[in-house]
Amino acid sequence: MQLADRAVGFLLSFISISIFTYYTFWVIILPFVDSDHFIHQYFLPQEFAILIPVFAGVVLLCFLWVFVGFVMLKSKKKKA
Amino acid sequence: MKHIVKIMTLLVAISALWVGLLQTSMVPRSHALLLPIYFVVCLGCYGLLMVGVGLMQFPTCPQEAVLLQQDIIEAKKYLKPRGVDVGFD
Repeated sequence: MQLADRAVGFLLSFISISIFTYYTFWVIILPFVDSDHFIHQYFLPQEFAILIPVFAGVVLLCFLWVFVGFVMLKSKKKKA
Repeated sequence: MKHIVKIMTLLVAISALWVGLLQTSMVPRSHALLLPIYFVVCLGCYGLLMVGVGLMQFPTCPQEAVLLQQDIIEAKKYLKPRGVDVGFD
């Protein structure tokens, strides 16, 4: 029980740290590197650095609102 | 009311800093334009990290669990002859 909790916690922190380093590299360090360095092939083109977080944020908001609407509909149906 | 005033002042200060950074070209322009998104992603990452670290360090107190089970058994034994039904066994 305790080990499962620790494994999940470790996985979460690992994911968050890897996302942070990748994004920091992408946004801050990569524009200063010459464009024919080999490291550029590991990173997507720079427009995606804006698109992916915005897209993820919009998806999250949509999911939240759909969930709220769903719960409201269910409670109204139960009352009527 | 006081808490939201604090948060609003923090947001206004950060956006003033960002606009100031855009005006004086200390940082290259494309960098400065990307900063708000970078900070939002950073904030999300930090929240996730805190959740993960808290999960890893959560104490379970196994002795307290055993004592709690003993307390439950004692309470059931006490209440049953007095007619209170607390069990699901």
